[in-house]
Amino acid sequence: MAKPKIAFFDFASCEGCQIEFTNFGDAATLELLNHVEIVEFREAMTETTTGRIDIALIEGSFTREADRVRLQQIRHRAKYVIAYGACACTGGINALKNHQDDFAEYVYGGDARMPHLRSGTAQPISAAIKVDYEVKGCPMSKDELLLVISNLLHGTEHVIPTYPVCVECKRRETICRYDEGDHCMGQVARAGCGAPCPADGIPCEACRGFVDDANLPALEKVLMERAGFSQKRAVGKSRMFTANLRS
Amino acid sequence: MGYLYLEEKDFAAFVDALIAAKRVVGPTAKRNKFVYEQLASADELRLDFDVTILPPKKVFFPPAQDIVRFGEQAIEGCIAPVDTVLLGVHFYDVKGIDMTDYLFRERKEDWNYLAQREATTVVASNIQAISPRAFWDSVGAEVKPKGHDAFLTKLAGGCVLETLTPKGEALAAFGAFRDATADEINAAQQTNDSVMGQCSEKLGYTSEAIAAKVRDSFDNEELWDELAMDCFSCGSCNTVCPTCYCFDVKDAWNLNQVSGSRTRYWDACLTREFAAVTMAGGDKENFRERHQSRFRHRFMRKTAYLNEKLGGPACTGCGRCSQACTVNIADPVRVITAIMEVGS
Amino acid sequence: MSDDLRAAHENIFLPREARILHTARPTASEKHFTLQMADGEPLDYVPGQILEVGVMGYGEIPIGLASSPTRKGSFDIVVRTVGRVSTAINSKEVGDSLWVRGPLGHGFDLDSLKGQDVLIVAGGIGLCPTRSLIQYILDRRDEFGRFLLFYGARDPLQLLFTEDRVEWRASKEIDYHETVDRADVTWTGNVGVITTLFHKTTHLDPNTRVVICGPPVMFEFVIKELDQLGIARENIFVDLERRMKCGVGKCGHCQINDKYCCIDGPVFTFAAIQELEEAI
Repeated sequence: MAKPKIAFFDFASCEGCQIEFTNFGDAATLELLNHVEIVEFREAMTETTTGRIDIALIEGSFTREADRVRLQQIRHRAKYVIAYGACACTGGINALKNHQDDFAEYVYGGDARMPHLRSGTAQPISAAIKVDYEVKGCPMSKDELLLVISNLLHGTEHVIPTYPVCVECKRRETICRYDEGDHCMGQVARAGCGAPCPADGIPCEACRGFVDDANLPALEKVLMERAGFSQKRAVGKSRMFTANLRS
Repeated sequence: MGYLYLEEKDFAAFVDALIAAKRVVGPTAKRNKFVYEQLASADELRLDFDVTILPPKKVFFPPAQDIVRFGEQAIEGCIAPVDTVLLGVHFYDVKGIDMTDYLFRERKEDWNYLAQREATTVVASNIQAISPRAFWDSVGAEVKPKGHDAFLTKLAGGCVLETLTPKGEALAAFGAFRDATADEINAAQQTNDSVMGQCSEKLGYTSEAIAAKVRDSFDNEELWDELAMDCFSCGSCNTVCPTCYCFDVKDAWNLNQVSGSRTRYWDACLTREFAAVTMAGGDKENFRERHQSRFRHRFMRKTAYLNEKLGGPACTGCGRCSQACTVNIADPVRVITAIMEVGS
Repeated sequence: MSDDLRAAHENIFLPREARILHTARPTASEKHFTLQMADGEPLDYVPGQILEVGVMGYGEIPIGLASSPTRKGSFDIVVRTVGRVSTAINSKEVGDSLWVRGPLGHGFDLDSLKGQDVLIVAGGIGLCPTRSLIQYILDRRDEFGRFLLFYGARDPLQLLFTEDRVEWRASKEIDYHETVDRADVTWTGNVGVITTLFHKTTHLDPNTRVVICGPPVMFEFVIKELDQLGIARENIFVDLERRMKCGVGKCGHCQINDKYCCIDGPVFTFAAIQELEEAI
């Protein structure tokens, strides 16, 4: 059987998820290449393709109507579409602009009218085309992407945990951010990343989105009572990666 | 079995001799907290710890443990115990280990746990510092700490080692021990007695009274709704508990996509899909759908369901759940007291 | 670790290989497997017991044995495609292997059924574990009194074991009734929920032993009928479904109060569980 062909595509994003993929290291990547053939990968190779592909990995959010055609073409050529990274799965950080209109002036000052800054709302890839699998996170979890691909190669689906990040922090015996006088959103953030941030002393920002039935009133309460946030900051805090999921 | 004495100046040499011969796991400092880790030298050992983030069960029942490995055709188990000394276990955690020993042994022996358990010498130690959330002196008094091999009590100028099993006696060969005097044995007893009653949190009811009242409160939906209102279903209270032993099992392939492993992971009954079953059409039947019923299930498990098997409640009063719960609703003292006060 | 120690310390999670001798597709979503242990050892089980059945790399799931130990040489299971593991199992064909652990759990208490009238009430895929008992009773017919079977499915396309049902309908050894919730043009039989079948047969002796297996929603209505007939709850046996992940009473997922569904059950008397919170 021919090796499945994999291609990487990017839309509105920092391309950090492609970089993260290259962080697998040589040994793991070479082993993976025994099972798949990478036919397009802008961060790592010059070749591109217009032929059929088995797995299209799409990074970045869908922000302009012109991108819809390109996405549809990818969908048409690909057997499976995997949206990877927060931008592709939910709109990610980019979606923060959906709730504001002064960001261009704020960021670019006098250059705010550059034509390429004229884009629409930031939406997930699934707003334009059917997405078969998602690998969440900012950056995406490379181990999870590997699991998704591994399961696809075996004709099945990787099951993403439905529990929050606290489970993974506790399993690796990380000191709770709250016990160090910090804040954290691990109680409501979807796990599967292995909780690397709190282990490095950084609060969880819920880059993989929230678990279902997230207890947000309790989150606001704990952010105010234990981390000393104002109510406004407590409410706004959780929006960084979930702007498209919140009103 | 008996009482031995080791001068303080000889203690580090004793620990280092053990480290040279076996894997030695003990409490070590992790910034402002303590964790059980394999010791590289005696000076890492912190017997003045108050409580560790995770209980010592992780030595026998790691957070992730392969239980079967598979290749293209063959499969094999992976029970591979390592000769270990677990040095520095407070009496409440000795109780916890004894409970998981029972639970992994009852009816179907699980050698994925028991093999490492049997290969481990458990050395208890006296409590030198008390965690602010602990209440081990007011819970489950009827459950006696047992199953450990030796008990180490630090005194001024040295320590008394009470050996309780042949494994415990074998420790003597690693240090310059001599027989303890009657005064030293008495001093050790007094040292251990003196910490009782010192916890700042207290449970003011007997285990029987608690079990009966908690069971009776099962249908008091209003009470559980209120107690669990802020619950995140994050499972932190389960994950840090010395008597929680639930696990999930997952398979994964290695990078070569041919071989792989079946691995068990600590699971938590507070998490949303713990009791969910996939039904026809991919729908889920969740036997504990609401977070209130999962919260209630935990308290039933800790105060009532297992009491007959374990001879008392499945709570040792370590206070880890109280500490781990960011919204401070998991504290057994607070919850049990609230339940006991209903209607009184 | 020495080989001696390894042998002494049996790993309760180590599955055994079972070869697929025969398969059938009774419905669009179910697959019926006839299996044999690869080492040739017979499977020594009681009707109502379960197997953990899996494919390495995909996982394992609890499945009730669907054949009787009286029929030697092979054993049957029926797997419905619902998730990751069941899909992997149902992709296997004759000559392939499945990896199984068991038999596990507490099956039907045959001693308390023997010499008595027996009614089996099976809904949907609940017929699979009870088929083990049905075959057992038919193979040892003299040891039991009157034998009735009520079977209900959502619609005619969901009905399992066509050949068995033809045999049961024709047999004098079994008083068999079936129903569907929704009929189609081909259906000439009874239409309605399973409890409508209680009115299709002659009066049941209050001493009858009753076995219920089906979706959780079915229990309540069947128990109500049995109460009216004066059947004691000690004589009602229910086969419960839970997330029996490990199958050996360790992992905690199937726990109901202080019972483990996988090891104390899956068959319980209704009397034993009616007071257990969250059981039904």
